[in-house]
Amino acid sequence: MSSPALPLIHQALRKSFQRLESSQKVWASVLAECSPLIASVGNLAEQLRALSSLHLPSTPLNVFPDLEDRLRFKLLHAVDTALVRLNEQMCSLQSVRDSFSNQVSAVFQLYEQNRDSLDASTVMERSAMAPSICDMMGWLQDAEHHYRQQFVRRKALLQTLRADELSLLESSPKRWKSLESPSMEENITDALDKVSFFIEE
Amino acid sequence: ITQSSAKKKCSALTGSARKIKDNAADWHNLLLRWEKLNDEGFKVAGRIVELRLMRSQRDELLLLDSTSAPAGSSSLQTGGPPELQDECCKLKDIVDKMASMVMKMQHLMASQQGVQDLEEFQFRAGGRRLPLFHSWDTKAFGDSSRALLESFTEELKLKQMIQEELAHTWSSDLCMVYMSCWLHQPFIPPDARLTLEALLLETGHRPL
Repeated sequence: MSSPALPLIHQALRKSFQRLESSQKVWASVLAECSPLIASVGNLAEQLRALSSLHLPSTPLNVFPDLEDRLRFKLLHAVDTALVRLNEQMCSLQSVRDSFSNQVSAVFQLYEQNRDSLDASTVMERSAMAPSICDMMGWLQDAEHHYRQQFVRRKALLQTLRADELSLLESSPKRWKSLESPSMEENITDALDKVSFFIEE
Repeated sequence: ITQSSAKKKCSALTGSARKIKDNAADWHNLLLRWEKLNDEGFKVAGRIVELRLMRSQRDELLLLDSTSAPAGSSSLQTGGPPELQDECCKLKDIVDKMASMVMKMQHLMASQQGVQDLEEFQFRAGGRRLPLFHSWDTKAFGDSSRALLESFTEELKLKQMIQEELAHTWSSDLCMVYMSCWLHQPFIPPDARLTLEALLLETGHRPL
């Protein structure tokens, strides 16, 4: 006997995976916008490092007495601009995370409300067209966790960056790259593949 | 080009206002061209540094090589001086073009000064009572032009020095500082763009 709540839950799951699909696209495009910015932060840090390691009065540039201050000002200004733009991108990640979270918690709430009418076999049952409710909810939860973790880690990295901490700025592109988690991305892609028939139903 | 098309569009303007408005358009065009030349120059300068570093690495190899096999070293010379010379000529061309742009800026400044002198003659010490455009007095146009001219004159000197020194620089840190000077133009303050926009806004090139 299938529960009357089943179509409702299926509908909510379908909506969540559609949201996951679109979230993935936005997420990837935001990160793609971030990579040249973070690269430029690293690059500017290198330029600042070169400037600090030189004694300009003993180079041909000594005819420009205020050059060092002026160049440093311009470089720091450019670092600031890049950091501001990165932080703007973080806001986009945050809104993806939040809207996806809301979607997932709606599914879980719906499930909680109807759990008495759903027996274990219904929740575990899978068919050629649809994975089990249990699996699908698990995948959604994993994806949500992934977004949360990624957002917090990237945001935390950016918050440690300060224009006067050269070594942190210099290592930032590497650390940014190390936050990538291809296995989690793969899991999400897999999950989306598995629900592709279910979504279209 | 902009000057003539501007003339067609607002043929009502004459005298000082006409001259000042045309000058503002010229400033705009010069700054755009400068940016373009700066980008081109940055690419050329980048290649010079690359060739320079390649050469110094090769020289080190040669030095090691010459102790063991002094005869076979001439084959390593390819891709060296002629290519470097080529890029240096290109950079020189670009800096020369920038120099001629600064000359044009000086002309603009001189003509601006001329307008101001004329107004002082026409209206005595108090200057004209009503502004030519929206709110600026005639002197303000001169002040903006002077600020821009001073920045670009100094920047040109820096560029000329970089162009002369770049291919003779061994230190990679110094090369990087030259490159970063070229790109970030330390003598052009961040508000230069704002100064120009204010000029364009006041003269009516940009809608209020």
